[in-house]
Amino acid sequence: MALELHPLEQFKIEPLIPLHIGGLDVSYTNSALFMTVAVVLITALLVLGTRRGALVPGRWQSMAELSYEFVADMVETNAGHGAEPYFPFVFTLFMFVLFANFLGLIPYSFTVTSHIIVTFALAAIVFIGVTIIGFVKHGAHFLRLFVPEGVPVVLLFLLVPIELLSYFIRPFTLSIRLFANMLAGHTMLAIFGGFAASIGLLAIFPTLINVGLIGLEALVAALQAYVFAILTCLYLRDALHLH
Amino acid sequence: MSEERPSDDLARLAKRLDRARSEHAGAPAAETGDTAGQQQALGIGFRIGIEFVVAIAVAMGLGWAIDRVLGTRPFAMIVLFFLGIAAGMLNVYRAITGQGAAVGFRRPGKED
Repeated sequence: MALELHPLEQFKIEPLIPLHIGGLDVSYTNSALFMTVAVVLITALLVLGTRRGALVPGRWQSMAELSYEFVADMVETNAGHGAEPYFPFVFTLFMFVLFANFLGLIPYSFTVTSHIIVTFALAAIVFIGVTIIGFVKHGAHFLRLFVPEGVPVVLLFLLVPIELLSYFIRPFTLSIRLFANMLAGHTMLAIFGGFAASIGLLAIFPTLINVGLIGLEALVAALQAYVFAILTCLYLRDALHLH
Repeated sequence: MSEERPSDDLARLAKRLDRARSEHAGAPAAETGDTAGQQQALGIGFRIGIEFVVAIAVAMGLGWAIDRVLGTRPFAMIVLFFLGIAAGMLNVYRAITGQGAAVGFRRPGKED
């Protein structure tokens, strides 16, 4: 029995509208398409949902308000006082990752967050932004972040590199966590799906597994968006408050 | 909704909300608290799973790059391998002790 499995084919980026500017390939791809869809859906949910501004919210307004309050609460508890100006950024980030993750769960769609370049770009924005905020707020004092308190000078030669390293690892853990979870989940779904397609009547078993997996993937999709946003908040707190 | 007397509407709504809440009082409160705790635990679990591995990988990659530039193969990679383990453990430790992803340590109570 020949198994025809191409579990990684779903991650292929294909140009939909070829576009080359100055030797750069800036084609409008399926990845860009789903980013656009995510942004349009988020905007639609928030703008149309809150248009009526009813005192007793309907379903759509309720969803819009719930997401707003969820992130507002997250920023307040995790990033602490003084982080309010950065709420729009965290909210945008959370909604974008959430919608990209969930759009990816629709069969035949494309998962934007399964590409490390996308997640790394998001993580790099967070990392660079937070570092700039730290320096703007505290100046050179921000560097004290890397010097643990109450440690003998001799040990500092060891501890400062470790602290530096654990700081610079942040964008990598942030991006790899999201990308790896999406990639692994969707590959697994595709493998079981391809399996089911090729074994006739027995297909019921891999299909059952897939039913469970898709539930798990929905959980992962929401959870990874949550983790991404909450870590952004924690990094912000570091930069704002220096502990 | 009548435009003239919104306060009447509000009072009625408040009464209805109170009644609905009292009907659902008790068990749901404890339930939501529990799921919130579970959510947090799940969040932490998913976070630290990758923290350690990535720390070592990134540190070794950095060491490899330094070696390439300075021609000190393999010493920078070895040193950074151990630093990567230390940084990874530090990150995991801080994540599970609720210090977030904090870099640096200050005694509690001492505000900067």
